[in-house]
Amino acid sequence: MSERSKDQPMSAEEQAKASSGRNGISRRGFLKGAGLTAAGTALLEGVQAFSSETEAKETGVREFGPGPVPVRLHVNGTEHTVTIEPRTTLAEALRINLGMTGTKIVCDRGSCSGCTVLLDKVPVNSCMVLAMDAVGHHVTTIEGISQGSEPHPVQAAFVKHDAMQCGYCTPGMVMSCAALLDRNPHPTEQDVRQAVAGNLCRCGTYPKVFAATLDAAGSTRNA
Amino acid sequence: MNSFVLAECTSVSAALSQLNNGAVVKASGVDLLDRMKNGIEEPPKLVNIRNISELRGIRETDQGLTIGPLTTLAEISGHPAIQSRYQILSDSCGHAATPHIRNMATIGGNLLQHVQCWYYRSEEFSCIRKGKEFCFAFGGLNQYHAIMDYGSCPSVAPSSAAVGLLALNASVELQSARRGKRTVGIKEFYVVPDANPTRFTVIEPDELMTAIVVPKPAPGTRSAYQKYGEKESFDWAIADAGVLLEMDGDICRRAVITMGAASPVVRRSAQAEAALTGKPVTEETARAAGRASVEGAQPLSMNAYKLDLFPVAVYRTVLLAAGKMGRDPSAAA
Amino acid sequence: MTTHVKEDALLAQAADAPEKKSVEMPVGVPGYTLQNETIEVPVTEPPVWPINKDLKYVGHTAERYDGPAKASGRARYTSDVQLPGMLYAKLVNATVPHARVVSIDTSAAEKHPGVKGVHVIQHILGPAVLRDPSLEQVRYPVVRYAGQPVAAVAAMTPYAAEEAAKLVKVQYQTLPFVVDLDKAREPDAPQVFPGAADQAGSAGGGGGPHNVPQTGNIHGPSIKRVGDYEQGLKDADVVVEGHYLTQVQTHSALETHGVVADWKPDMLTVWASTQGTASVREELAAFFRIPLSQVRVITEYMGGGFGAKFGPGNPGVVAAALSQKTGAPVRLMLDRREEHLSVGNRPSSDQRIRIGAKKDGPLTAIHLVAYGTAGCGTGAGCSGPAQNLYQYASLHTEENDVFINAGPASAMRAPGHPQGAFALEQTMDELAVKLNMDPLELRDKTDSHPVRRVERQIVRESALWKSRNPVAGASQGPVKRGIGMAQSVWYRFVNMNSAAEVRIHQDGSLEVLSAVQDIGSGIKTVMAQILAEQFGVPPAQIAVKVGDTNYPVGPNSGGSVTTLSLTPAVRDAAWQASQKFLADIAPALGSSPGDLVLVGGEVRSRSDKFQPLSFRRAAAKMSSAQISVQARRIPDYDPKNYLTYGGVDVAEVEVDTEIGRIRVKRVLSVHDCGRPMNPTQTISQINGGVIQGISYTLFEHRLLDPGYGLMVNPDLDRYKIAGALEIPDIDVRLVEAYIGQSSTDASGIGEAAGVVSIGAAVGNAVYNATGVRVRQIPMTPSVVLAALHAARQGEEMA
Ligand SMILES: Cc1cc2nc3c(=O)[nH]c(=O)nc-3n(C[C@H](O)[C@H](O)[C@H](O)COP(=O)(O)OP(=O)(O)OC[C@H]3O[C@@H](n4cnc5c(N)ncnc54)[C@H](O)[C@@H]3O)c2cc1C
Ligand code: FES
Ligand code: FES
Repeated sequence: MSERSKDQPMSAEEQAKASSGRNGISRRGFLKGAGLTAAGTALLEGVQAFSSETEAKETGVREFGPGPVPVRLHVNGTEHTVTIEPRTTLAEALRINLGMTGTKIVCDRGSCSGCTVLLDKVPVNSCMVLAMDAVGHHVTTIEGISQGSEPHPVQAAFVKHDAMQCGYCTPGMVMSCAALLDRNPHPTEQDVRQAVAGNLCRCGTYPKVFAATLDAAGSTRNA
Repeated sequence: MNSFVLAECTSVSAALSQLNNGAVVKASGVDLLDRMKNGIEEPPKLVNIRNISELRGIRETDQGLTIGPLTTLAEISGHPAIQSRYQILSDSCGHAATPHIRNMATIGGNLLQHVQCWYYRSEEFSCIRKGKEFCFAFGGLNQYHAIMDYGSCPSVAPSSAAVGLLALNASVELQSARRGKRTVGIKEFYVVPDANPTRFTVIEPDELMTAIVVPKPAPGTRSAYQKYGEKESFDWAIADAGVLLEMDGDICRRAVITMGAASPVVRRSAQAEAALTGKPVTEETARAAGRASVEGAQPLSMNAYKLDLFPVAVYRTVLLAAGKMGRDPSAAA
Repeated sequence: MTTHVKEDALLAQAADAPEKKSVEMPVGVPGYTLQNETIEVPVTEPPVWPINKDLKYVGHTAERYDGPAKASGRARYTSDVQLPGMLYAKLVNATVPHARVVSIDTSAAEKHPGVKGVHVIQHILGPAVLRDPSLEQVRYPVVRYAGQPVAAVAAMTPYAAEEAAKLVKVQYQTLPFVVDLDKAREPDAPQVFPGAADQAGSAGGGGGPHNVPQTGNIHGPSIKRVGDYEQGLKDADVVVEGHYLTQVQTHSALETHGVVADWKPDMLTVWASTQGTASVREELAAFFRIPLSQVRVITEYMGGGFGAKFGPGNPGVVAAALSQKTGAPVRLMLDRREEHLSVGNRPSSDQRIRIGAKKDGPLTAIHLVAYGTAGCGTGAGCSGPAQNLYQYASLHTEENDVFINAGPASAMRAPGHPQGAFALEQTMDELAVKLNMDPLELRDKTDSHPVRRVERQIVRESALWKSRNPVAGASQGPVKRGIGMAQSVWYRFVNMNSAAEVRIHQDGSLEVLSAVQDIGSGIKTVMAQILAEQFGVPPAQIAVKVGDTNYPVGPNSGGSVTTLSLTPAVRDAAWQASQKFLADIAPALGSSPGDLVLVGGEVRSRSDKFQPLSFRRAAAKMSSAQISVQARRIPDYDPKNYLTYGGVDVAEVEVDTEIGRIRVKRVLSVHDCGRPMNPTQTISQINGGVIQGISYTLFEHRLLDPGYGLMVNPDLDRYKIAGALEIPDIDVRLVEAYIGQSSTDASGIGEAAGVVSIGAAVGNAVYNATGVRVRQIPMTPSVVLAALHAARQGEEMA
């Protein structure tokens, strides 16, 4: 949350959280290396603690909504409690409930990747993910990829190469490229193109996005 | 998007118990949320199967593959065994949508996605697929629509994966609480519009897809899939082709040719297959197969160009499968 | 279309007549035509800058000022603004393309528990307006396109707003409609307007001519004549002609149109995603009849406009009205579909062009008859390139706007020019073929612009052009390679409402302020560079504050005016502030103002009275806390000169002739923009123009169903925009072209950059590859295959 500008007001959730002091119990240790099963269990636990629903555990079903329900979202290493309707997408929860507006909603249909976040390190379109589906998983947003005050190498390279104009696609681009370098530290330009094949930039900054990402990877090629 | 109840399920039986009163299955939700956001569907309850771990994963045995329906397209296309022995499947899953969508989209959801016809997808058009009388595409904008076998609705089969799975003669396992399990071949799985325009597959509202079963191809089988769009950084196919060749030395013992964007359901082209069967695979026979693939086609007012596209898609994919041509730079990379 | 802008600027320039001095200024292109010229400038002007290589910060790479904010997601756009108690608004849009609104029932929406306010639109912005309003006696604005906003609701959550919007019941009396250009031109076509109608232009251009006839849906012709074109065609040795078609493109900025409006009793504050804070302020003040001083507009960051974002538009007015009604701040951001439908587009064109020429090149006649649709607006004129690129003995251009029941167009990056150049530059290419002349040589004989002449020379010497086979269709196999070139032109518009304030603080920190908005072109960075140059401190240490009407007025960013209009004001303010500063500290240094100079970040005494002092230490000697100077744009030094600029683009394509797919492999883009202030950012803009141009040429198409008048692809997947795998290798060569016009000598780039010429360059390359001319965009497989088939049939018949 330190990324936020000071003049931005707190969301209702934040205020609630701030006053109750129930903040940031990291579950990272528990979930580290957790596969789907563990994540599934975590989902139930995460929800259970805050849910007023009382279905018996043995049915394997837990119903939520249609009204707002409190859930825990693990974002950028911090656990947040948000009260959301089940129809809330992850992008909406981040932007509206958590005030993390770096993630953009552009098409709201999965066709532009402006809303890219990492879900357990994998880039996804948060406009097409229900926020409830992120419970029990690690969400990383653009606000969370810098290392402290140091920008992520991809962020630094984007600035160095001027890989942006209006900047609206930039958070999504950065997330896609950072995820690429995470799984492939030495990509070719074609790899970069493929990694951002779903990211639209209307200002047309692609050549510099490619150059920046290759530079961040320490590759010698400069465009 | 309408508000709904979300039923989180952790087991198949739990999910099956929820499938009533208009409840709809949600896997990763890419297709379902798209429909809901467009206002063409307003289910009161989503049955979230995304966290049912038993429905996810790839198992390879001597008989072939069993794929959990929650396995993502990225997991399938990136799987080493599939890349080496089921090329057409990794190709077709790897060329659907965008990289991030492939990270989310499940194979089950991909096979079950509704058609992409822009009339169907828009709230304003109450079409035959939504239980009304009329199809707007025949007299409207139909440049991306079907050229064959369309009957009352010329929407095209949207699933890339299905083009691969049909060629592999795969089947899906369906399960309901009341009727138990059944297995349906991919070909039989899809419903042509004339049989029932309001459904796309035979799956019943109370059924879950619980597995995709892919028999092991005969020794000497080579396969490939290529998808052609107007652009490459994700586009819906304007033509695509799946090719599976059982080779006996130079001679093609058996050929399977499948197409997606030609008709409302994925189709096999018997004519194209006949043009190759028992013959060596050369540019000449491949082109003959290509030409045969559109025999009998009846293009609509705006899509005659597909009559040129499919023959090329087929011949180039045949040559790719046979190892006689590289991946077509004009197809999606 | 753009002429009124030009005239305004000239008028404004004529009004000032200050005392002059003579200075020597560099004019021309270094390495080619550079020389010093004596130019009269006002005595108050700062010293002349040398060419870029002799400057330290200006003309050199400086990191984008807000790069870190954008790369980190910290940059706050309008869509990100959240205020305490803020409501979310949602528009109710017409579901039919043409109708009278009989009734609007908002009662159910008002009862929705989350709803705080409902607004019914009484006055719609955008569509053309009847010359005789009495022709339509209606209670609510007539619906002229599907998607036209009718009403709006404001609610506690976005979902509540969406639900409540659906509860508003609108009863329509539908009217016959037409959405097809050809059908709309038929005599018995349904009428979009019951009489003649005109659309106002926006700050960024757009809009069409007003004093033209209207017959049915045809608003025009607007005619320009030079000499006698019929005679010109008779005088020609060769005449080439063609029929060219271009589609409607939507701007598709990634951030949609929208505002957050906060109406307080004494101040309306509006965060707007806009290209013109000034235009939003003026139009809101006028609409609500409140003083300008009570409207504040803020645009910290904005996610793309491309010409469509001027004034508050319907979203701005509706949000302000809802905020006034509810007493709460209201956010109204359009969704993607609304963005496609209702806030502008690039008009289509249907052009018939003829060019006559002498055997050795000179043009005897250009004749262009153009129709195009700007929906229910005007502005489809596209004869700019025909009028302004070449020398001709005669010219006749006719522009006609054809009304259809679709959303009104607005200015879009170089309005009219990509369309016009697509036809003109392919016709010139065809002429070169007919004359058996190299296309560059033909231009040398017909285009006298001194800078484009240099640009063509650069093209001629490039490896890419040298690899071009002049014989069309020569390559073997189904995939054919070809190279083509085309030229672009744009105009130098000066927006005189450009001012900046420079502040020097006692701690040595520096600030520059202007209401100008940075739409991604990087004006913030350039402002910092100018101060850096003046004060000798790195640009990153300058505080740049823009995008707020509380600061001195800034230009609206449209028509490539921002940098060339604002930077002289910034430089003048910086210069004057530095002079004031030296005068102020002279006594404390035991010196006189005339003895002090500020160079290289140091204050020095000409007479060596003291050791050089760093700027920061010198600032500590200021007699008060702050020195502040505001300066406004003064007119161009010699506004009669150099009114146009442009570039030359070369494209290399591969055409897969079996499936009709075109792939642009390489682009060489040679452009001038006066003094490039920040070459890196300029290159970013040219890359963007090229890419947008390729996207327009090959993919984009707004599709309206002819039977129902609804857009079938109002999204970002079936509305197809070039992505990462469609991007060629782009080689940008920036040509420094000094023109002796202002204290910074900057020009614009946004419009001229690639977007004008790339369509024709691709078309010419496709011809070079295949021997077949594709005269229609987007060049999809369907279009390309049809052209190839037609050519083959033509050959067989011949
Ligand atoms: C921009 C974009 C481009 C695309 N391009 C392509 C493309 O080129 N090729 C292609 O093939 N696809 C493409 N897609 C579609 C995408 O692949 C599908 O939307 C996705 O695969 C659906 O999977 P899902 O898990 O999200 O399904 P969901 O949306 O969760 O489900 C889809 C449907 O299947 C039902 N369902 C899902 N799983 C089960 C189950 N196990 N049992 C019973 N019912 C079930 C649901 O009820 C729903 O009706 C594209 C999508 C986007 C957004
Ligand atoms: S906003 Fe999510 S993909 Fe476009
Ligand atoms: S920088 Fe503007 S959309 Fe990419």
